Amino acid sequence: MRVRILVLFGLALLELTGPGAAVAQSIHSTIQRVQSRMVKVFGAGGIRRLHAYSTGFLVSPTGHVATVWSHVLDTDELTVVLADGRRISAKVLGAEPQLDLAVLQLKADGLELPAWNLASDSGDAGPGTRVLGFSNMFKVATGDEKVSVLHGVVATKAPLATRRGSFETAYEGTAFIVDAVTNNPGAGGGVLTTRGGRLLGMIGKELRNAETNTWVNYAVPISEIRKPIEEIIAGRYRARQREPEGVDEVARFRPLDFGLVLVPDVLFRTPAFVDRVQPGSAAARAGLQPDDLVLFVNGDLIQSCRVLKQRLGRLEAGGVLKLTVRRGDRLVPAELPVPAKSSTPSGEKSR
Amino acid sequence: MTWSQSMARRIGTMLVVLAVGGAVVHGQAPADLETKEEQAFKAAAVNVAPSVVRIQTVGGLDRVGRTLTGTGATTGLVVSADGFVISSAFNFISKPASVLVTLADGRRFPAKIVANDRARMLTLLKIAADGLSTVSPVPRKNFRVGQWAIALGRTYDSPLPNLSVGILSALDRVWGRAVQTDAKISPANYGGPLVDIQGRVIGVLVPLSQRQSGQTAGVEWYDSGIGFAIPMVDILSTLPRLKTGEDLLPGLMGITLKRGDVYAVAAVIDRVRFNSPAEKSGMKPGDVIASIDGREISRLVQVRHALGNKYAGETIKVVVRRGDKKVDQQIQLVGKLEPYAPAYLGILPRRRLVGDKTVGVTVRGILPESPASQAKLLPGDRVVRVDGTAVADVAGLLDIISRHRIGETVKVQVERREARQTLTATLSGIPPTVPAIIESAIIAAPEPKPANLPGTGRISEDLAGHNHNFWAYVPETYNPAHGYGLVVWIHPGGDTMEADIHDLWKPICEERGLILVGPRAKKVSGWNLGEAGFVEALVQEMQKRYRIDGRRIVLHSYSDGARFGYHLAFRYRSLFRGVAVSSEPLRLSPPENRPELRLQFFLSCGDKDNLFGLVQKSRARLETMKYPVTLTPVAGDGHNYPPVPVIDAMGRWIDLLDRI
Repeated sequence: MRVRILVLFGLALLELTGPGAAVAQSIHSTIQRVQSRMVKVFGAGGIRRLHAYSTGFLVSPTGHVATVWSHVLDTDELTVVLADGRRISAKVLGAEPQLDLAVLQLKADGLELPAWNLASDSGDAGPGTRVLGFSNMFKVATGDEKVSVLHGVVATKAPLATRRGSFETAYEGTAFIVDAVTNNPGAGGGVLTTRGGRLLGMIGKELRNAETNTWVNYAVPISEIRKPIEEIIAGRYRARQREPEGVDEVARFRPLDFGLVLVPDVLFRTPAFVDRVQPGSAAARAGLQPDDLVLFVNGDLIQSCRVLKQRLGRLEAGGVLKLTVRRGDRLVPAELPVPAKSSTPSGEKSR
Repeated sequence: MTWSQSMARRIGTMLVVLAVGGAVVHGQAPADLETKEEQAFKAAAVNVAPSVVRIQTVGGLDRVGRTLTGTGATTGLVVSADGFVISSAFNFISKPASVLVTLADGRRFPAKIVANDRARMLTLLKIAADGLSTVSPVPRKNFRVGQWAIALGRTYDSPLPNLSVGILSALDRVWGRAVQTDAKISPANYGGPLVDIQGRVIGVLVPLSQRQSGQTAGVEWYDSGIGFAIPMVDILSTLPRLKTGEDLLPGLMGITLKRGDVYAVAAVIDRVRFNSPAEKSGMKPGDVIASIDGREISRLVQVRHALGNKYAGETIKVVVRRGDKKVDQQIQLVGKLEPYAPAYLGILPRRRLVGDKTVGVTVRGILPESPASQAKLLPGDRVVRVDGTAVADVAGLLDIISRHRIGETVKVQVERREARQTLTATLSGIPPTVPAIIESAIIAAPEPKPANLPGTGRISEDLAGHNHNFWAYVPETYNPAHGYGLVVWIHPGGDTMEADIHDLWKPICEERGLILVGPRAKKVSGWNLGEAGFVEALVQEMQKRYRIDGRRIVLHSYSDGARFGYHLAFRYRSLFRGVAVSSEPLRLSPPENRPELRLQFFLSCGDKDNLFGLVQKSRARLETMKYPVTLTPVAGDGHNYPPVPVIDAMGRWIDLLDRI
């Protein structure tokens, strides 16, 4: 079985006739339809290299705009530019910082705008689905110019932050990760759609993946933000409870509480090798041995002594601690009961 | 019918549909065809998915060179049913303590690193599993620029691999090692497969660069539309060697070619390294390479293409033109060349003033107990020929001597009081000691003082275009008719030591004709390797402002500042000629010394300093690579900046850097 799919760039320059034209037409109409519902948002910023613009999309004919929650909105002088070039003042109607979401209200009466119906216009997609991204990245579109369109595929639909700290973002749910470079300055609040024009998600802020030190291109699925948007518009939205600050400082348990003594933590990433096991301790009863390398705690990879201590610190009293250790060339599971209370004084720094 | 067969059939049906579509324009295909293409992307991913594994590492460095190493999951590809997995070497540059492989079915195994392919930047792993699904490679003859290419990784928590779709952009890239794609290649899929639309593997994704080699080369191109994959067929052909645990190294012949526009000039051999395969086979400077393994060579760049895919241990057939003759040679390539031990005559050349067009090299001083002193050369002699070759200037003499080996004899013709005589000298190595007295090289202020002299005295300013600042000391007597040495002070973490360094070095700068420049780290607490570019730019700025003698540009640093200092020295080999380090050992493995890029070291350390033993070992490591090294212990001293007598010795050593 042989296949040759040649992409003939040259042809793209020719007048479109024949079989290609029908689809080109349909994509063209998709793009026109989507662009008419997109807006450009101008607000605070412009200093210290912070951009003063972002993107938004209309979610009601009377002038509600969904956009990304960012410093751009931190001003009384918000201006929204519609697809036809009209400039209208706006105010922030409500926001959900944990979803990086804000809803704006245009300050104009009697509007009848083309808008998304979140209930009937949304869709879903998996890896490999071709998508379009719409945003005013880098403020390329000025005046009544339409926002920029990018194309790509969905790389995956997966949780953005599987572990605390891997991304510097408030949003931790499932996201569409795409292979086009959609997340640029000003692109936040843009949309991701299928090529048929189904609304998939809202493009998020620029985001660096702290685990791989690369920038990530993603959109928050509409299914995650639809309800908050509708509730904000209806005026009955209550922001979610934020987790208390300084949660990383929690240190409820220490390795010693389980009878584990780790090797001295001398490097930035000292592997979590067991130095000693206290006789009669939970660790001893679970069969742990010196030189075991702790690799997983309750399914999460442990890359260093530091991470192990953080993870133990966050355990809930009375639960079960599931460990996987590497012993020689084998992986060995172990289960330890989490005691009711830490035996080491809480003021003491964990070692 | 098994699942994969049914998948293959489904893809087959789809392809018939695609073929009917005929010449289809990407992005403008008929709607149903477009949907089918999309299904084909997904089917291709599903087809290979069972062989795409997730790799996690534990422990290891947090930084390699300028690149912050990730701790996230990376990707690998099963290459044999009995548990061998290939991945990108980039995924292991942090030298992790433990490597874990998670198969597509969720089973998890500890992995062993078996071997590395250092030419194609791949790493082979082994896990204790059997009966794994393997992939089928795309034959090289089926590679077509423009065909779909789907890049897969397994870095997210999702049952299916993450994918990016593009096309094959080019073949035979990076000296024939890789194919190029515009699919988005990044740490999210390094080590994963690049597959065709049938789910067969074109290659394995790696970061690579045309210009640089090294572990992190090419990473800066992530997600840019420029990505590389090592062809699967090549991987399978070297797999048996890798499986034995043998590291594969790029093959070297041991020649350097005459410089020039690599796309225009012929491949003329400039130097043949001592004891290298090229020397053993009888290659000589001046030979012109005519063909390698039957591929005709007419331009320099073709040599790199012909050798790019060769490993150490392989034998190549080289034809060279020597005069009118053609000479055939069989050369077995090696992975490492013997480092070059610089030969030494023992003269200090007189430095020329601007506009001095004297032919030859006038002797400023003869170093004690050197080949030159034994041959009875005298200060004031003008060296005009060596072994019959005319000597134009210092660079010319240095070049001639650097083509000799220690122990060889040269005939030196000198002009002494208008008479010519020929002396015979037996070359030695550069001695590890600094003579107690080197006549100072005080430069008088220009008379009359020219207008538009650049700033002198103590200077402190921002470097334009960089978010950094620096300080400098330029002797008040600065005279642009003379070339000055440049001392680049790399301060230790936590203290720029500016006032002390200024006070201690000011007299030495005046005595030895030196300019001192002190770049300041962004954070005084310590240098970040990313600041290397700033230091390079600063040296270039000083070269623009002042007349700097390129043979005497020195990095000087103390304590932990020297980690950055050593990094700079080996990173910018063509810029720095000397490294003077106090109280800090060398913590990286130095590359071998090369005749065309001279580099000398001056180490000092208190003999009561805990680091003293390590500093002594550093000298040994540098000497193994044949660098000239001077180590000055400071009796009774601990971890301190060296006292004045040692700084004086450092000044004399800098004055000696242009010795021949």
